[in-house]
Amino acid sequence: MTMLEVQNLSKYFAVPAGVVHSVEDVSFSVERGETLGLVGESGCGKTTTGRTIIRIYEPTAGKIIFDGQDITSLTPREMLPFRKRMQMIFQDPYASLNPRMTVGDIVREPMVIHGIPKDEHSDRVAHLLRLVGLNSEQAGRYPHEFSGGQRQRIGIARALAVEPELIICDEPISALDVSIQAQIVNMLEDLQKSLGLTYIFIAHDLSMVRHISSRVAVMYLGRIVELAESGELYTNPKHPYTVSLLSSIPIPDPDKSDSREHIPLQGEIPSALNPPSGCAFRTRCPKARPECAALNAVLRDTGNGHLCACPFV
Amino acid sequence: MNDEILTVKNLHTSFMTGAGEVKAVDGVSFSVKRGEVLGIVGESGSGKSASMLSVMGLAGENARVWAERTAFKGKELTPETVKALRGKNIAMIFQDPMTSLNPVLTVGYQLRESLRRHNWQGDIHARCVDVLERVGIVPAEERLKQYPHEFSGGQRQRIMIAMAIICNPDLLIADEPTTALDVTVQAQILGLLTELRKASGMSMILITHDLGVIAGEADRVLVMYGGKIMEEGTRREIFYAPAHPYTKGLLRSVPNPERPSERLIPIEGQPPDLLNPPKGCPYVKRCPQAMRICLEHKPEAKVLSGTHKTSCFLEVKE
Repeated sequence: MTMLEVQNLSKYFAVPAGVVHSVEDVSFSVERGETLGLVGESGCGKTTTGRTIIRIYEPTAGKIIFDGQDITSLTPREMLPFRKRMQMIFQDPYASLNPRMTVGDIVREPMVIHGIPKDEHSDRVAHLLRLVGLNSEQAGRYPHEFSGGQRQRIGIARALAVEPELIICDEPISALDVSIQAQIVNMLEDLQKSLGLTYIFIAHDLSMVRHISSRVAVMYLGRIVELAESGELYTNPKHPYTVSLLSSIPIPDPDKSDSREHIPLQGEIPSALNPPSGCAFRTRCPKARPECAALNAVLRDTGNGHLCACPFV
Repeated sequence: MNDEILTVKNLHTSFMTGAGEVKAVDGVSFSVKRGEVLGIVGESGSGKSASMLSVMGLAGENARVWAERTAFKGKELTPETVKALRGKNIAMIFQDPMTSLNPVLTVGYQLRESLRRHNWQGDIHARCVDVLERVGIVPAEERLKQYPHEFSGGQRQRIMIAMAIICNPDLLIADEPTTALDVTVQAQILGLLTELRKASGMSMILITHDLGVIAGEADRVLVMYGGKIMEEGTRREIFYAPAHPYTKGLLRSVPNPERPSERLIPIEGQPPDLLNPPKGCPYVKRCPQAMRICLEHKPEAKVLSGTHKTSCFLEVKE
């Protein structure tokens, strides 16, 4: 069952210097209960894609279909019931919680907004805090009394408060220490199983994305360049950008680290104000040819649902 | 090959804050040899940066620093000698290249400044062009006239590296030099640092929380937690024969590249409160093998081999 379908989505931002093409003609779907990983480097459009899906940003073009319904141009009032069904977890557990609200009020706020009967609030808050491994007695405390990992748990409890079906996790572990990251990832996996959640997991930590995702989409300069089942993508990457990206991940194993081949990327990422014609990666691609400047680099199936935007692989 | 560039014995650092005394570094000893890369790995608050800033005399006004001995190439360090060595014989680069560069001065001005300050004998302009080319910022003549905001994050870190190596230091302290960068840029910067080290023979202290970066770059590794060194060893000892429960826990909490979907094994609990540190081992509350003695006493470093030490009361199997 398809939970979410994104069709030819684009998002441009007008800035004094021109128009930034943050997301360009992106299409993918997310099945109910799966985790789709969205990876790429800063400025590749992964966060903008996530935010446009839940319509924090208005899409410039394309369609967003949630559970069979086109939500692309719903009014804020029409959008409200859908917002209840999709929630977001943010990167920075310090900036995303209001320091002047108690933890209980933070977790309760979405219930107030979505009109959940008041007499249920306290029980639900206590239940949610326990669900994320906190103590229900901690509801009266303020965010500064908690560590980074605990604050991320509070953010997750808030996202779960209105029983969403889809959660967009935007770099949920990047700000956390290594020993805490595993705690949060395990918890997200457990919650997914027990509550039947669907995740879009946005991150730049490629080994964690591989661990948690069923399928992974790789973005470069606003476009998806490759999308495949997670094991397939990491063991058999096809797009020259993915190959380079994966060869740059540091491996926590000295012998493997010494013996593997690193394919360095030359130069700098081009500006999204003025992206290259044809394939956006051609200016840095080790396999670029003259035709790349004019080709229409759309995703095509190379077999078994492994999509790649490079026609020469 | 065995001469020590930097020697630190029994270093203690406390920060005096409104809430009380924060014991950031608690009895840390280590040395750096000529030409080697010493990796320091640890989480926020483990004392890895605070140790380095203390040695360099940069810990700040509210810091109390005490050490049995700190020496550079065998000569004792004092506040005056440290000041003379800093930027010349010992250089530092930090995580955030944007806040480490002055936004209103050109890159050329900032490079020339460090040469003048350290009385560079020779053509200052030629030296600036040379280092900028060596870190891959070209055309150097043109780019010297530009301001920091005209460069990308990766290029700014290259400029920071150029400033650090401009006086040919013996030791480069790199504090999370690639944490703010994307993986492909990180790989470029780590490659550049290796290339520069090989050409000049300088030593490096690489501070990071990324076990992958340590595995790829360090000759020897210190694992820090709660202001103490938990384990010290060669990179192979730390990754293939870890002795301390914290090192083992840390290595288990990252995805295994061989079995990527296997459930992770996190370290339970939270890092220690340094305002109110545990009396014994800082790791005691999270350690799955904690014993009664760990609560009351601080373990001494136990020697496992000529290069391998661990601070743990557990009996070590041969």
